[in-house]
Amino acid sequence: MTTRDLGYAGLEAALNGYLGLDPVTRERLAALHGRTVGVEVLGPGLILFFTADETGALQVYGRQEGEPDCWLRGTPLDLMRAGDRTAGADQLFSQRVRIEGDSGLAQRFGAILADIEIDWEEHLSRIVGDLVAHEIGSAARAAQDFGRRTGRTAEQNLREYLQEEARLLPTRYEVKELLDAVDALRDDVERLAARVERLGKRSGEVGEAQ
Amino acid sequence: MNDDKTTHFGYQTVAEADKAERVRGVFDSVATRYDLMNDLMSLGVHRLWKRFAMQLTGVRAGQRVLDLASGTGDLAARLAGLVGPTGLVVMSDINAAMLAQGRDRMLDDGRVGNVRYAQLDAEALPFPAGSFDCVTIGFGLRNVTHKERALAEMHRVLRPGGRALVLEFSHPTAAPLRAAYDLYSFQVLPRLGRLVANDEASYRYLAESIRMHPDQETLKGMMEAAGFERCDVHNLTGGVVAVHRGFRL
Repeated sequence: MTTRDLGYAGLEAALNGYLGLDPVTRERLAALHGRTVGVEVLGPGLILFFTADETGALQVYGRQEGEPDCWLRGTPLDLMRAGDRTAGADQLFSQRVRIEGDSGLAQRFGAILADIEIDWEEHLSRIVGDLVAHEIGSAARAAQDFGRRTGRTAEQNLREYLQEEARLLPTRYEVKELLDAVDALRDDVERLAARVERLGKRSGEVGEAQ
Repeated sequence: MNDDKTTHFGYQTVAEADKAERVRGVFDSVATRYDLMNDLMSLGVHRLWKRFAMQLTGVRAGQRVLDLASGTGDLAARLAGLVGPTGLVVMSDINAAMLAQGRDRMLDDGRVGNVRYAQLDAEALPFPAGSFDCVTIGFGLRNVTHKERALAEMHRVLRPGGRALVLEFSHPTAAPLRAAYDLYSFQVLPRLGRLVANDEASYRYLAESIRMHPDQETLKGMMEAAGFERCDVHNLTGGVVAVHRGFRL
């Protein structure tokens, strides 16, 4: 037994303290009763096992015998972003967060965990030491706060560059123009086809009459 | 039972037939303040000891676990979380007052789906052989009159591949720690008992019974004699507490 165990116990107490005030999240967790998720934070080499109980409280351990139902592995930044609903799916599908086992469970659990607003840095520091925890904390904050605000700006800048400067991608207006033109063309072609068919029938009728 | 046989009750020697009755007296007396006293006695560290034991259980969803000497149910509550809705935890104690406390606490916490309760004697378990994936006993074995019978019963009710965990006070491995521990146990602890639970004698018994409990190697030998294999011992807090684990193969 080491001071790390104290860290895990502290993290568990903090999480359950938070969950005590958040019945909605508790309910989401209670639905996962008995399922265990392993999280490996790449870099500091931190491993956490989370199991939800019937009441929606969490048990947090640093070791476990046997494999959990699923694994989430990623850098602190990627793991925190997995909880972001818009970016989350991209994170998971672009394989920046690696999932093993029950992927549905991993996705649900990851999203719930990342939504829990406790001082992760403070608690993780008791497990991995201040310096490393600060890096994780910084990354998490970068992802949560800075990332939320500037992520959008960066996305916009990139889009502008690709569309306006490099002309690699069309703008929304250009796409709309193109789609309208395609629609018009398709309608025109359909009308033309109908007209040809009608002409064909008429010429057939004329031929039979003669 | 032969009334001439004797056993330990703390530092006293009593007739074997009397020990269970006297232990019952102790726990009837401390039941309502058991959790508070545990925190005071161990300075809160008992929570870490129990967490550590949990990590060795290997219990997963759908399994059946028997928790002996559950007391107020610290281990049983965690186990109920791990076995999920399809699993089962049997929470048990020989003492009705302790079991009632434990059951009330579980119900108050909202743990109702996968927990059953049984008042039973660890020396004669009312379950068929091979009923459980894991059997745990936390801070209970030292109060059992015939420890070897209890260990044999734990072995019997396990499935092949199942494991038993004994979390119990043990013997500190380092001499300086032993001196401080003795001072704490015999000077501080009974006074705490008098202040908090108004029962100095019961807490003196707790301290004495810990000293009379077999040390790490002896208990490991007893587990092996009961049929357990691949037994290992994990010392916690310098051996103040130890987790013994054995498998039925």
